[in-house]
Amino acid sequence: MRNIIFLSVFLLSITGFSQKTLPNINLKTFEGEKVNVTELSSNDKIALISLWATWCVPCIKELDAINELYDEWKAEVDFEVYAISVDDSRSVKRAKALVNGKGWEHNILLDTNQNLKRALGASAIPETIIVRNNEILYQHTGYRNGDEYELFEKLKKLSKE
Amino acid sequence: MKNIFFIIFLFFFSIIYSQDQPYIYGSFESNSQLLQDDESIGFLSPEDNFRSNNYFQINYQTNNILAGIQYEGYLPSSLLGFYPELDNQNKITNYFIKVQNEKSDITIGSFYEQFGNGLIFRSWEDRQLGINNAIKGVRLKYYPSDDVELTALVGQQRDGFNYTESTIQGLNTEISLNQILNLKDTDLSIGTSIVNRYQENGSNDSIPSNVSAYGGRLNMYSGNFSLSIEGAIKDPDVIANENTLVSNRLYDGTALQLDFGYSKKGIGLNTTFRRLENFNFYSDRLAEGNIYNQKTLSFTPTLSKQQDYLLTNIYVYNSQPRLVMNSIEKRSGEVGFQNDFYYTFNKDNFLGKYKTKIAFNFSYWSGIESSFNEDNSYNVKFIGKGPRYYRDLNLEIKNRWNSKLRTAITFLDVIVDKGITLGGPLGVQGDIKAKVGVIEANYLHANGKSSRGVVQHLWTKNDRKNWLGLVYEYGISSTVNVFISDGWNYGGDDKTHYYNLGGSYSKNSTRISLNYGRQRGGLICIGGVCRFVPESNGFNLNLTHSF
Repeated sequence: MRNIIFLSVFLLSITGFSQKTLPNINLKTFEGEKVNVTELSSNDKIALISLWATWCVPCIKELDAINELYDEWKAEVDFEVYAISVDDSRSVKRAKALVNGKGWEHNILLDTNQNLKRALGASAIPETIIVRNNEILYQHTGYRNGDEYELFEKLKKLSKE
Repeated sequence: MKNIFFIIFLFFFSIIYSQDQPYIYGSFESNSQLLQDDESIGFLSPEDNFRSNNYFQINYQTNNILAGIQYEGYLPSSLLGFYPELDNQNKITNYFIKVQNEKSDITIGSFYEQFGNGLIFRSWEDRQLGINNAIKGVRLKYYPSDDVELTALVGQQRDGFNYTESTIQGLNTEISLNQILNLKDTDLSIGTSIVNRYQENGSNDSIPSNVSAYGGRLNMYSGNFSLSIEGAIKDPDVIANENTLVSNRLYDGTALQLDFGYSKKGIGLNTTFRRLENFNFYSDRLAEGNIYNQKTLSFTPTLSKQQDYLLTNIYVYNSQPRLVMNSIEKRSGEVGFQNDFYYTFNKDNFLGKYKTKIAFNFSYWSGIESSFNEDNSYNVKFIGKGPRYYRDLNLEIKNRWNSKLRTAITFLDVIVDKGITLGGPLGVQGDIKAKVGVIEANYLHANGKSSRGVVQHLWTKNDRKNWLGLVYEYGISSTVNVFISDGWNYGGDDKTHYYNLGGSYSKNSTRISLNYGRQRGGLICIGGVCRFVPESNGFNLNLTHSF
């Protein structure tokens, strides 16, 4: 027990120091092309990243909601959506059918053995992240109906900074 | 304690050198429960009624070095139903350093890896299932060109807080043929892998100390179509049950998986066929079939839709790759398929101006038709007419009516063999046939608050008869959420209520949730891997934070 308390205090103390950046991890597209996470938001572009899976209902709700509003948002803020599937080999084959079947416009990347999910310490998904020049500007775990509006407010605010 | 000093050392070390743009990231997760007796479900809390699983990981990264450690503590005991070897232990379980450049990387220490679909090898972590079967050793990756990736590894597999005595070696190649064959509109890749387990056979010369599994695969994308094929075979090996060899007889194993997909904007179709005959591979020959999913090398998860609602996940399937030969049952594996169909209607139909979405899923899994001989050999067909283990049919319709209201209607028709759900031999105890209907509504209030309500009903004449389920969730703000739910088994003899209430707070990368209630016993499946959890009653506290 003492160890746990000690670790917790230690943990809180380093939180202040750590830089919030995305780790240097390669993901793949459906076609097998490698994409490095650190390259998603270079040149001052804003990237909205969501870690999702075919079996995660709130994740799909969130990405559906963003998809429905994407055109409206894009007229006000310049950003790209990266939906990173953490599906393992069991369900990753279904991901492409789901993405197309739902008519998503998002860029899809695959984190099949969950290296990025683990590195981000995202024990629950959806994990939604806004990054620019690889710096994490906003991070949120979970989705409830309506959260997309708050996300849009964040995007608008961050795009003006 | 020594370990903690090591963490601190690593931390200060990195601060000193922070001009070189290194950074530290990590996370903390704590899942605790406080159990209490509950006579009406027959639950007596164990002596350690406070139980807690804790994980702390920290990573340090520069341009070409990544190092990390993970500490785990299960104090005073691990959560109910977890691997008992974890109880009352805490230490640094995983640590590694990885050095990389353009052409290659090397990892020393604990690592996770997967070859292809994982049919012959996958090491990974799932904290909700209590799985961490990392390999501790050395892994080398080499990329001679953009099209080729080679992996070689050697090490021992983690088993709770120890390592298995066997040595695991693996080789994997991934080759993209697009440039080599000058393909224009098609993506084609192939892969091969081999995994070897060396485990001493003691004084028993009739069992092999070296057992290998070999896999090959092909993936193709062309226009709207995708196709992938993966096959694997395993050397003859003994079979075991509950930590004991069944006999000295050796049996080989085979696996085959085919995936076919077609999709274009608005339509998605996917079919998976899989056949597993005596196909499981463990880092310890006696670990076969252990209920805690420990020491697994092969990854052969359940392929059926993962259910999320209170009542749809009562009758779920668990994959059956084993060859079993004993006096009460004989079977050689599993064969079956799963189909997915997704469709999005165009805008402006009678259901409103937003696009209505449909998802349909069907799966069928059975034993492979086999006959068993006196001398413990068996004859098997490719598919044949084995007993049905599971069949389900899911239909889900989601609609958004306006900017405030969304609904989802789900219907599930399921047939499951009693042996899968309740335990005991398969194919002889009869079936459970059930139907489940679910209506979910999400409403966004004017002041930014939100409501989610779910009404569900399960109809069955078998097992515990009918159930009614209700969930109400209220989002007070984007950070605070509360819920109350009840799964009422009103058709059963005890008329049990499985009530739960709780709330969560989630801000930036921190999430805290607390709930109180009854846990229904049964199979809990995450990502197709299942574990049995006992019925219980009590408080649960979960905390996660990443930095």
